[in-house]
Amino acid sequence: MKIVAAKKILKANEQLADQNRARFGAAGVFVVNVVGSPGCGKTTLLESLFGHLRGRLAPAVIEGDIAGSVDAERIDALGVPVVQINTEGACHLDATMVAAAAEGFDFKAIDLLIVENVGNLVCTAGFDLGEHLRVVLLSVPEGDDKLIKYPAIFQASHALVITKLDLKPHTNFSVEGAIAGMRRLAPQAEVFEVSALRGEGVARLADWLVEKARPVVGR
Amino acid sequence: MHELAIVDALIEQVRQEVDQAGAAGPVTRVELVVGRFSGVCPDSLRFAFEMLAPGTIVEGAELALLQPPAIARCRTCGAQTEIEDLAGACPRCESPEVSLEGSRDLVLESIELEDHQDQTHEDRCRQEDPQGQ
Repeated sequence: MKIVAAKKILKANEQLADQNRARFGAAGVFVVNVVGSPGCGKTTLLESLFGHLRGRLAPAVIEGDIAGSVDAERIDALGVPVVQINTEGACHLDATMVAAAAEGFDFKAIDLLIVENVGNLVCTAGFDLGEHLRVVLLSVPEGDDKLIKYPAIFQASHALVITKLDLKPHTNFSVEGAIAGMRRLAPQAEVFEVSALRGEGVARLADWLVEKARPVVGR
Repeated sequence: MHELAIVDALIEQVRQEVDQAGAAGPVTRVELVVGRFSGVCPDSLRFAFEMLAPGTIVEGAELALLQPPAIARCRTCGAQTEIEDLAGACPRCESPEVSLEGSRDLVLESIELEDHQDQTHEDRCRQEDPQGQ
């Protein structure tokens, strides 16, 4: 006997991700999945970004880490609601974890939910969390060749944020090379060049997020 | 990437499919389509399958991995081009209106079961089919 299934594995995750998206959308909460290597500056970018969003979008954060809560403490210090997920070894967040963590927020009080994924350029590409946008970070010290080495995560992202631009004079990083790589993988993606520590380039990213969030948030 | 977790999900999906078909085991062959850009390593899949299969419905089953070529379908010029590397534009006209559908997916294509009435009955009892069928 042969059973023809023709069904995606991880379909369960995709279904739950779609449910998450519908639920977030109905509540007027715009969700952004932030991915990138460990140490690429995800939390530092958020710290800077929230300053630019003040009075425009009310943010909250889900922090995904294998262990610890150092990032969540940094977000909490800004007065932004935060829920920490410890994956205890898992290399990525999935839609189930995000659904559970989202229970910790008052949806009436927020309109932007940032999910800071586990630092990883591989596994995070395969799991839809129910986000509206996926933003990938690439820091200057990592090198512009990461787009060639880890194409899937870049191809599946709506924006590339090149971070730590202040370190560029000390490296051979090619901004042009990174942008060309992103154009090849995701021609419609936006590219942002920022130095979160110096606050450069973050305002443009904030403006773009506000614009993208508008249809969901409704203001 | 996370092949153990994937194989775990695969085995659960096989169990559900077999249940839904009103069948039981033993499963003799499981056929998967591994998309070129699925991010899954076939050797790791096989290794994870060998590790996790014992004691489950797929114990002893053959794992067949089909790896079709990746096709970029362009909605602008209509070209269907086989591609080796992940790209977001049509290799012919460079339009970004290109879909790589399928090439990212990992699909449970089919399941083959041994046809044996007695064994089927035994297997159903052993699995404590909640449907009681």
